[in-house]
Amino acid sequence: MSYFIGYTLIYILMTWSIYLPYRVKDLHFLNVAIMAVTAYFSAVAAVNWGWPFYLVLITAIFIGIIISFVISKVIGDVPTFTVVIVGITFIFIVKTIIENSDYLGGTMGFFAIPFLDHPLIIMGGITLFFAYILYMLNHSQIGKAASVIFSDKKMAHSLGINVKNIGRLFQTISSAMAGSAGVLYAYFTGSLFPDFFSFHLVGTLMTILFIGGYTTMWGVIPAAILLGGVPVFLPSAVSSWKILIYGVLLVAVILINPEGIITKKMLWKLKNKFIS
Amino acid sequence: MSDNLLEIKNMELKYGSIRAVKGIDLSLKKGEIVSLIGSNGAGKSSLLKGIMNIEKKSGKVIFKDKDITKLSTEKIVSRGISIIPEGHLIFSSMSVWENLQLGHYQGNNKIDIKNIYEYFPILEERKEQKAGTLSGGEQQMLSIGRALLAGPELILVDEPSLGLAPQVVNNIFKIMKRLNEEGYTILLAEQNVKRSLELADRAYVLKTGEIIKEGSASQMKVKKWMYL
Amino acid sequence: MDVFIAQIINGLSQGSIYVLLVTAFNLMLLVARIIQFAYPQFVVLAMYASWLVLEKSGNVILAALAAIAVSVLLNLLSEPIFRRINNIEKIDINASFVASMGLSMIIVEIMSHSINNGFPVSFPDYWTGENIIDFNYINIGRGELAALLGGIILVALFFYLLYHTHYGRVFRAIAEDRKTAKKVGLPILKSNLLSYLIAGILGGIIAILFSMFLGSASPWLGETVALKVLAVSITAGLGNLTGGLYVGLGLGILESLAIGYFSGSWSDVIAFLLMLVVVLSKPQGLFGAALE
Repeated sequence: MSYFIGYTLIYILMTWSIYLPYRVKDLHFLNVAIMAVTAYFSAVAAVNWGWPFYLVLITAIFIGIIISFVISKVIGDVPTFTVVIVGITFIFIVKTIIENSDYLGGTMGFFAIPFLDHPLIIMGGITLFFAYILYMLNHSQIGKAASVIFSDKKMAHSLGINVKNIGRLFQTISSAMAGSAGVLYAYFTGSLFPDFFSFHLVGTLMTILFIGGYTTMWGVIPAAILLGGVPVFLPSAVSSWKILIYGVLLVAVILINPEGIITKKMLWKLKNKFIS
Repeated sequence: MSDNLLEIKNMELKYGSIRAVKGIDLSLKKGEIVSLIGSNGAGKSSLLKGIMNIEKKSGKVIFKDKDITKLSTEKIVSRGISIIPEGHLIFSSMSVWENLQLGHYQGNNKIDIKNIYEYFPILEERKEQKAGTLSGGEQQMLSIGRALLAGPELILVDEPSLGLAPQVVNNIFKIMKRLNEEGYTILLAEQNVKRSLELADRAYVLKTGEIIKEGSASQMKVKKWMYL
Repeated sequence: MDVFIAQIINGLSQGSIYVLLVTAFNLMLLVARIIQFAYPQFVVLAMYASWLVLEKSGNVILAALAAIAVSVLLNLLSEPIFRRINNIEKIDINASFVASMGLSMIIVEIMSHSINNGFPVSFPDYWTGENIIDFNYINIGRGELAALLGGIILVALFFYLLYHTHYGRVFRAIAEDRKTAKKVGLPILKSNLLSYLIAGILGGIIAILFSMFLGSASPWLGETVALKVLAVSITAGLGNLTGGLYVGLGLGILESLAIGYFSGSWSDVIAFLLMLVVVLSKPQGLFGAALE
């Protein structure tokens, strides 16, 4: 059961890190690479250097932010697909480095990462923290500006919205989330394999994001429960078909209701029902 | 077997919740030039687009006694209606000759590229040139030539004078007169009222999507208040 | 020096495959208006199809036909999916990207579970052929030659189609300005379908050439190739056909040279890194995107 909750929380965090940049149409796959970096960093720091958890966490978040900030400064305001290539390239780079490094365990994996004393409380706390940040962002001027950018970038520019800065802000915050997710993943599972931080993970996160609904931050939660948590209970024979199911669901959701299960409209209706 | 080449019954066209065309009835006889007059946003262009089914609409459109309301634009063109769209749209990256060939797609063979070159010798001169390098007036001619190659009986012309110098506009209207003399029926949407009425046989005045006046062009020319 | 020449030739053959894939990819982008990320997966599945036929019957011609049939089938089946996606109003081209990611995931998983228990398959010698040219230390296999010649012929045919046939003109018109194309009565739906059909046939031939060149296929082949094809297209400029030619060939040669000095996955990294650098200095692509 704790595995279920734990994995759900991790996937929520990871998917939010894709959700936030997508608010301004950025497919910031770089975050998956950042997760890999921070996960392995935590592993090495905890096992080889004996760092305490909170130090690792803070440093990892810092690393994530720096990587993202530097890269987004170099990129500037570019079309969506350039951002995609950046992400893909770094995922490749990071994965290859890990696979070819014996120090990091190579393809065999890195083991024996210590477990936390109260993993779920800590993970829950971090998730809530970022949930709060997301909520505040979405309900601020920045959030409104982001919605404008999403529907029409050119118009956003002409309205005086600083598209570049908002994009950078979102990318940076999302990388903080990704960084935390990487750390939590390492401590929660106890072992790391480079295979995990591949395009498969990108696919899984995209599926969660699109099924849950990318127009609000809340859709991610039930989708992560269903697609990230529930597989924990499934026998391994079924769970090896996970990616196939994700693929089918992803195509289905785009065809049927591309905005996902939980949309802004639905939330509005619910809100109005409760008010009246 | 009715007299009318084109009949429109109760056409309604909406862009989202905005009604651009509200219940319009209109008819055209073969060989006429009919003008749609009205200011910007009156619904003239939308009406033409509705006929060609470029935009979704309700109502009925009957051409040569056959119901073409639900046909695809492609089919409508093959039935004999061509549109010269607003902004004299041509394919800039392709040559003049290639642009014309596209019009020939329907392969009606009623008219050949040689005929187009007779109408517009300048196009033959520039036939290998990329259409994007032509002047506004030449592009308009290309657009007309392409529309003609589909072998239409009815030509819809959407704001032909827009963005063109007066001398060029003169030329275009002369061309339309000549086309009409050769047998083409023309439905014209045009903001330039004076020019429009000089050319047309009949006119409909549109305001916010409805017809507020119709009559022969000569009748309308007299009434000063027509100059909107 | 001989080694160098051999690498170049090998690189050109590999590049040839990339060029064909990017060309089909760009075709779908320009005419059907979709990002077909799963197209290389269709090709790999077609490769598997021909492998299966070879296993069962050893008949080379049947295997080739199987590849083409499977590719055409897959592409035509995907058409209604993408058409539906494009018809939904709120959607932009990203939606097709995401959907094709989903399709890609489905196919890769099917391949890794059901065919040959997920292990890579290798093609028999009579398919890939022996070395045709043996000159000093330069060995050129039938596969390489096929890929190279096949690539040249197909690209030439494709450009002929595009610039000297009626449908080619229609394609280019739709690619330039879809709205106007519709207004002047060009057949949008038919052209769409035709582009899928062409992509399908091309895909089948690519599958044949690729399997002859590589001699093997694996479920993750498609993934890497799909990412590279996407990257090539973006680097050259989305929708830019001639750009795709140069960048595709360039990538092939680059990889071939890199493999000589670095191990497999590093050469991938170098490839992506270089494309990344190009794309950062010229975000619209080296030769300019053909789309807004």
